[in-house]
Amino acid sequence: MSRAGIVLCGGRSSRMGRSKAWLPWRGVPLLRFVVDQLAELVDEMLVVAAPNVDLPPVPARRVDDREPGLGPLAGIREGLASMESDSAYLTGTDSPWLSRELVEKMFRVGGAVAPVFDGHVQTLAAVYPKRGGSIATRLLLEGRRRPLDLLETLDYRRLEQADLPESFRSSTLNTPGEYLGAVLNDDPSATATLEFLGRARLLLGKRELEVPIGTLSELLKHTEPTLELLHEGTLKREFRVTLDGHDFVRNASTPIGPGERVVVIDASVGG
Amino acid sequence: MEMGGFFGCYDRIDLSSGTTERIPIPEAILQRYLGGVGLGSWLLSVESPPGCDPLAAEAALVFAFSPLVGTPLTTSAKLAVVGKSPLTGYLSDGLSGSDFAIAGKRRGVDALVFVGTCPQPSEWIHGQVRATQCWGLSAAATEARLGAEGRVAAIGIAGENLVRFASISNGGRHAGRGGLGAVMGSKRLKAVVVGGTRRTPLSEPGRVGALARHLSQQSLGDATARYRELGTISNLATFNRMATLPTRNFRQSRFEGADSLSPEKLSSQRTKTRTACANCTIGCEHRYSHSGNSSTRIEYESLFALGPLCGIGDPEAVLAAARRCDELGLDTISAGATVAFAMECQERGLLEDADAPRTGRAEDLMKCLAAMGERRGIGDSLAEGSLRLALKIGQDSLDFAPQVKGLEMAGYEPRALQAMALGFAVSTRGADHNRSSAYEVDFSGKANRLHGDARTAHFAVTTEERAAVMDSLILCKFLRGVFVDFYAEAAQLLSAVTGWSVDAADLESVGHRIVNLRKAFNIREGWKPTDDTLPERFFREALDEGPSAGAQLSRRQLGEMIRSYNRARGWSPDGFLDEATQSEIARDLALGREARA
Repeated sequence: MSRAGIVLCGGRSSRMGRSKAWLPWRGVPLLRFVVDQLAELVDEMLVVAAPNVDLPPVPARRVDDREPGLGPLAGIREGLASMESDSAYLTGTDSPWLSRELVEKMFRVGGAVAPVFDGHVQTLAAVYPKRGGSIATRLLLEGRRRPLDLLETLDYRRLEQADLPESFRSSTLNTPGEYLGAVLNDDPSATATLEFLGRARLLLGKRELEVPIGTLSELLKHTEPTLELLHEGTLKREFRVTLDGHDFVRNASTPIGPGERVVVIDASVGG
Repeated sequence: MEMGGFFGCYDRIDLSSGTTERIPIPEAILQRYLGGVGLGSWLLSVESPPGCDPLAAEAALVFAFSPLVGTPLTTSAKLAVVGKSPLTGYLSDGLSGSDFAIAGKRRGVDALVFVGTCPQPSEWIHGQVRATQCWGLSAAATEARLGAEGRVAAIGIAGENLVRFASISNGGRHAGRGGLGAVMGSKRLKAVVVGGTRRTPLSEPGRVGALARHLSQQSLGDATARYRELGTISNLATFNRMATLPTRNFRQSRFEGADSLSPEKLSSQRTKTRTACANCTIGCEHRYSHSGNSSTRIEYESLFALGPLCGIGDPEAVLAAARRCDELGLDTISAGATVAFAMECQERGLLEDADAPRTGRAEDLMKCLAAMGERRGIGDSLAEGSLRLALKIGQDSLDFAPQVKGLEMAGYEPRALQAMALGFAVSTRGADHNRSSAYEVDFSGKANRLHGDARTAHFAVTTEERAAVMDSLILCKFLRGVFVDFYAEAAQLLSAVTGWSVDAADLESVGHRIVNLRKAFNIREGWKPTDDTLPERFFREALDEGPSAGAQLSRRQLGEMIRSYNRARGWSPDGFLDEATQSEIARDLALGREARA
């Protein structure tokens, strides 16, 4: 029986405030970390994301979620329908704590299998057979969007809490606090770098500053009182912040991870 | 109540006969198009015969003032020069701020429209055509010679020699883009000298005074501090960091010599002075000393075009080149971009000329600038701009000529700033950054700068319409950050000056209408949907540096953005106006023809 790994990158990361796929995790983007872990256990790797979603490069085949508004079941359908393997372990991009033991165990059980933790079926840490793809399509047409509907239709096997390996962790990274807490648990001295251009550099008299990781507002407070970048907890109108010159960060509660460079520029550009 | 802000008329000057006719402008037109680029576009549409050669005698050249010129409102001393561009064949305009606008309006008119051709090189001075002694002089020298007689707008030798990107200068500022200096040169009009005694009427002088004080106070705050403290050249380091800095004819998006061109480096090695346009409290103009005692004003667009775009990082050379452009009367963007294009052609062996410029060679750039201004040797071909040069060279060079509709591209890498890519493609003037202001979208974080889509197009429409209103009122765009609710606050200013009952929604409609009118002019002059595109290079070559690594555009993607933009404008998917809009514009233009009759 051939095995696939499918990583769903479907959520809007609204609570996190930025794309979870790009969050730094042990030196690489979180998606890359998850894919690398899982790739060692399977024959085929896929990531499912809405078209035009910017993802870090990963050794996996990208599959478009053509109906991202329909929730995770649509993403599961796309992954199962696109894979060539017989079954797939499916997870989200926000679950870096992969239990190899559990994954192996679920594949050995065969068919649809899902762990149960604290009374909740872990639908995004489960194994689905390929035929689940067509069944998911039917369910979506019936207006049923819960992954649990798919598992139930597939007559899935439950792995009860008592049968789960000790390495299993059900938690995911959904909020800045969860993410930053998990990183600091790994490395209490993790730092990020603030880089200044334009007027911020002029006022502060520095090109960059290394500071402990935290939310954007926590980082920017390190420039005070010389440079006030915040007003009532939000970034002042005359400044913009980008992550390493790439994505703009507008929400002051956005988490900034280890090794990241926050570039402060002037809001008014152009001539 | 009598209308404030305007005199309700313009002078139509026939340079061939030397006659001036004062023609009324209906108040409804002023309400619908304001002044500046809006009024100028309307006047051009009325006065310029369809299909005329931009350099022909019958082509009109408009100097349009605005309702706020002559008021105490900060940054309002500006005018728009509007005409049909000899580079693009479509509508073009340039804004500049100086005492010329105030003095011109004191003549008691809202615009000057020049048609015809002087029998000999001349200056137009207070209503009279007079043979000039300034032919062959720089614009600055001409201003110096005629300055005792009034405020002066003049062309340099590039305008005299019909360089297709010649500028018009006044008070050291330049209406640069689109080659309207060549239009003035084709009329053998070296200079326009104005002055007068009429004061701009104000409907509510007390309220205008209070609003002016408030706006001035706001203009001294944090929202404009970047312009005061660093000037626009601070863009260069930011753009370089974000890998959006066009370098070596758009082959790269980062320049290794950018640091030497930063405001910090320039300030540390030379004297810097700061000045302002007339009636401006921002004071964005930064002048740096070089070559002994001379001092040159440098802006980002000049810096990028004469520096990184040509592969030149020596600040002394870039400042000297900017100064030379001003002396000759050349638009710095088009001059730099055309030379950068020629440099790449030389590298590829497409330009055999011994004087063909080599990438990164400052001495080659300087020689080319002089040759262009004088239309000498290879300069004669360069003076035609990159589009015509590419058509002459052939061999696929058009694929990497940095222009849209014939206008050279401003300093924004379109693959990494995709709202700006859309702005370049659809703008009336060609590859223009100011009328679309789409770069604001890219730097706002509201849309993904590396993946433009329908949302990008929606925001680009918004910035373009706001720019149309700012450029017609006219207020400097560097003020945009001080407004919390631009349309509502601008409506207050306009109603206090004019006495009109005008609100935010009215002004939003004005922005929409002005963009429609400008598009209608271009359609009349032969615009076709295939004009709205970018050079092939931007679809074929992805960027490979820094935060923009992997950024690319496809024809399909740009096409989708353009269709979204056209739909958001209420135009057909391929960009034509609907019948109702055409009828509305036809009615507005008929009012102009009736007034002339």
